[in-house]
Amino acid sequence: MTRSEDHQLVARVVSGQDSEAFGELVRRHQSHVRNFLRKLTGDFSAADDLAQECFMRAWDKLHTYSGSGSFIGWLLKVAYTTFLQSKRKSKRYAEILEQVGHVSEVESRTIGAQADEVSDLDKFLAVLSEEERAIMVMSYACGLSHREISEATAMPVGSVKSVIFRGKQKIRTSFDIKDNQHG
Amino acid sequence: MISKIINMAERKKDEDDRLLESMFASESIADDGFSNRVVTQVRRRIWLRRLALPVATVVGALVSFKPLAGLVKMLSGFVALVPQDILSLPTDVVPQFSLLLLGAALLAACMVGLRVLED
Repeated sequence: MTRSEDHQLVARVVSGQDSEAFGELVRRHQSHVRNFLRKLTGDFSAADDLAQECFMRAWDKLHTYSGSGSFIGWLLKVAYTTFLQSKRKSKRYAEILEQVGHVSEVESRTIGAQADEVSDLDKFLAVLSEEERAIMVMSYACGLSHREISEATAMPVGSVKSVIFRGKQKIRTSFDIKDNQHG
Repeated sequence: MISKIINMAERKKDEDDRLLESMFASESIADDGFSNRVVTQVRRRIWLRRLALPVATVVGALVSFKPLAGLVKMLSGFVALVPQDILSLPTDVVPQFSLLLLGAALLAACMVGLRVLED
């Protein structure tokens, strides 16, 4: 999976609205995007819905990809924005439900999904804030560089570094990860 | 002080980093028709976009038929203002010259309108 191949496919899509080339881009990167969203949401089916929405947005905005950074970095930026917007929407939905006296379905569903299966990674992610989680996943699960994460999250590189540092500290203080490794 | 600590932490990939990498690493997710679903949705969107402009044009034409007819009537009045010398010369060669002139003006207006809609 090379960067130049990605760029060629993007050029084919942008120049001729080539859905086959876009399909190839989706096939190449779906795993990374879905993994990223699954770790952020903790809910596989919601993550897959978001991933689909993310790729549709990517199709609409592909002409804005300048080609200076990696395509997966740009794609994760779209995925992160999609995640944040959906979160804002479901928060508003929950507020409206609360106003009319209903228990928040969204909230109870998420808690249910989390209670089903809790892995070590889920426990680690639970101590992090949303922003820290997104950045740690981009860094450790998707292998993005600090500069790529900075572009994806619209944060300065220094802030990205300090968020990663803080995230690691939090994990270290909440769990003895060395013990976890040997235990 | 904090930046110094961060730089120190950045200098080497420590054991924690490697452990975190191995914990965050996950097997790649099988496609299972995911990309086909996205491509199908994309194709549907392309078709919708292709249809949107002609449908909007037809609906717009239907809605604006009456006012357009009034406009044509008014414009034909303007054609009468064009000096007879100019009109009579080509009319000898091309019959219905005044109608062609009107058609060209309408075509130009439609093209401008379509460009605005497209934008």
